[in-house]
Amino acid sequence: MKVKFNNRDPVYVQVIQHFKQQIAAGLMEPGQEVPSRRELAGRLKINPNTAQRAYKEMEEEGLIYTERNLPSKITRDEKILGAVREELMLEAVENFITSVQSINAPLDEVVELIQKKYKEKEAGEGGSHD
Amino acid sequence: MIEVKEIKKRFGRKKVLEGVSFDAKKGEITCLIGINGVGKTTVLNAIMNLTPLNSGQILIDGERINKNSYEKITFIPDAVTMLPRMKVADAIQFMRDFYQSWNDERASELLEFFRLNEEDRISDLSKGNAAKVNLLLGLALDVDYLLMDEPFSGIDIFSREQIAEVFTSHLVEDRGVIITTHEINDIEHLIDKVILLDNGNVLKDFRTEVMRAEEGKSVVDVLREVYKK
Amino acid sequence: MKHYLKLVNFELGRFIKVYLVLIAITIISQIAGIIVHSNNFVGRANESMTTMEQFAAQNGTLMMSDFMLTLWFLGPIALCIAALIFYCFLIWYRDWFGKNTFVYRLLMLPTARLNILLAKASAVFLMVLGLVSLQLVLLIAEQALLQTIVPDVLRTDMSIAEMGNRTGFLQVLIPESFTGFLSNYGIGFMMVFILFTAILFERSYRWKGILLGAVYAALAVTVFLLPLIIQLILGMNYLYPMEVFLAMLTLGILVTGTSIWLSHYLLNRKVTV
Repeated sequence: MKVKFNNRDPVYVQVIQHFKQQIAAGLMEPGQEVPSRRELAGRLKINPNTAQRAYKEMEEEGLIYTERNLPSKITRDEKILGAVREELMLEAVENFITSVQSINAPLDEVVELIQKKYKEKEAGEGGSHD
Repeated sequence: MIEVKEIKKRFGRKKVLEGVSFDAKKGEITCLIGINGVGKTTVLNAIMNLTPLNSGQILIDGERINKNSYEKITFIPDAVTMLPRMKVADAIQFMRDFYQSWNDERASELLEFFRLNEEDRISDLSKGNAAKVNLLLGLALDVDYLLMDEPFSGIDIFSREQIAEVFTSHLVEDRGVIITTHEINDIEHLIDKVILLDNGNVLKDFRTEVMRAEEGKSVVDVLREVYKK
Repeated sequence: MKHYLKLVNFELGRFIKVYLVLIAITIISQIAGIIVHSNNFVGRANESMTTMEQFAAQNGTLMMSDFMLTLWFLGPIALCIAALIFYCFLIWYRDWFGKNTFVYRLLMLPTARLNILLAKASAVFLMVLGLVSLQLVLLIAEQALLQTIVPDVLRTDMSIAEMGNRTGFLQVLIPESFTGFLSNYGIGFMMVFILFTAILFERSYRWKGILLGAVYAALAVTVFLLPLIIQLILGMNYLYPMEVFLAMLTLGILVTGTSIWLSHYLLNRKVTV
C-alpha cells in the first residue's frame, strides 16, 4: 500500500479516497479486514491521528464496520458498495468533462475517441480485470 | 495539555520571545516552525525549565513544572546529551537508574528498529546514529509529552526516513508531541498543528487538516503567504 | 535519597581516573622520597669519620618532620590540593562546556535539583577525605620505612600528632584533635559551598554573574570572619576564645545554609543551559 499524497487536500480525505478506489477496483473485498489504525499509519506514513480520523469518517459513511472488539471490516452492504463505485465514476467523468469542455471538444467526437482509446488500453493490458 | 502563556524572553538587549502563546494537546503533533532566529529552541528550553523567562507562564496539565514533571514530559535536544565516553548501554543504564517511566521493552524495540549496537561508544557514533540514540533515550520513556528539537537536521536521508517513521508509529501515539523544524517538507503530512514563529512572535497558529479542508492550502503555501507580506 | 546517592556515585565515577593518578603520584613520590631521604642520611653518617652517636650529636637525628618539608612529600600534596580546587570548577563547567552538553540531562532528572549540588559537593568532600586518610596511612608507612632504614641512634620517632605540630602548616590538614578536624574541614566545606554558589551565579547571569558571585563570596567570607574582625577593631581580648569559636560556628552554619539556599534558588529559577 503506497499512496502519494498531495499537500493541499486533507490527508484523511485522501486516505478515504484511496480506500474507495481499492473497493471500486475490487482490490478490497466486502467483509475483508482492514489494517488497524496503527498499521495503516505505518504503511501510509501518516500520523496515527489521521488514520483514526479516516476510519471514523469511513465508519460514519458505512464503508467499514466494527463488531464488538474485532478488527474493522469492509462493508458487505451492496447499496453502499454500489454507491462508492458510482461516486468514483461520476467524479472521474465530471473531471473529464470539465477538461474536455474547456477545449470545446464536441460530444460525439469525444465519445468516439473514448471508445477507441478504452478498447486499445484494455487490449494492451490483456484485459487483466474487468 | 501544555499551555504556553504570553512568554517573554530577552538575551541581553535582544528580544527572543515577545509574548508567545499557544497550547499543545495530548495525542497531537504540534510543530513550531520558524525560518530564522533562535526562538523555537528557547520555547522548548523554557517549557522544560532549562532557561528562565522574563515573564509569562507555562503550565503542564495545569501545573507549573516541578521535579515530578520530568517523569511525564521529556525533551530530546538536537544533539546527544550523554557523556562521550559512555557506551550506548551505559546511557540506557543511566536512564533506567533515574526514571521510573523508563520502559526497557520499548528501548530494546527501538535498538532493534534503529539497528544500534549497545556496545558502541557515544563518541564513536555517526551523526545519524547519534541522532537515533538521542531519540531512543527520549522515546523509551513512558511520558505523556515529548519535545523534539530539530530531529531531522544534519542527518542523512535514510536516517531521516527512519526517524520520520517514528512519527507514524505507536511510539508517539497518544502522546503530545512538540517538534521544531525549519524544514517542513518531510513531515507536512504528519503534523496536526503548526505554530509559525517569527522574530519572537506567533505569526500564525493553525491546524493542518483544517487549513487543507477549508482553504485548500498546504503548510508551505501558508508559509509562503506569510513571508511574502 | 536514592537519586542523591546515584548522583554522588556518578560524579565520583567521572573523576575516578584522575583521582587514582593523583593517589599513585602521591604514593610513589612519598615512598620513593622517604627511601631516598633516609638512605642519604645514613650514607652521610657512614661517610663521616665519626661514630654514629657523634654524627647524631653534631647533625641531629632524622625525624619524619624533616622529611615532611621536602619536595618529595610536599610536592604531591600541593598537586592534589591544586587538582581538587580545579576539580571544584571542573565539576560544574564540564557539564556545560563538555563535548555533549550533559547539563541538559542533569537538569531534566526527575529529582530535586538541590541533589545535583549536594552530590557534587559530596563528591569533592569524599575525594578530600580520601586523600587525607591516604596521607595518614602513608605517614605511618613512611615512619615504618624510616625505622627500617635508619638505625635507632640516628633517628627520633614521632607520633602523628607530633608530626603535625612540628611542621606547622600541616596541622591544618592533620589537626591534633577531633574538634580541630571538624572545624578545619567544616570551614573547607563552607568554602566549597560558597564557591559553588558563585559558580551558579555565573552560570545564571554570565558576565554580570561573575561580579555577583565575587561580591557574594566576599560578603560570605566577611560575615564568617566577623568575630575576628571585631576582635581586631575592638582589641584582642574583647571576646573569650570560646565565644569567638561559638560565634564563628554559628556564622559558619548560617553562611553555609545561605549558600545552599541561594544555590537551590538559582538552580531552580535562574540557571540556563
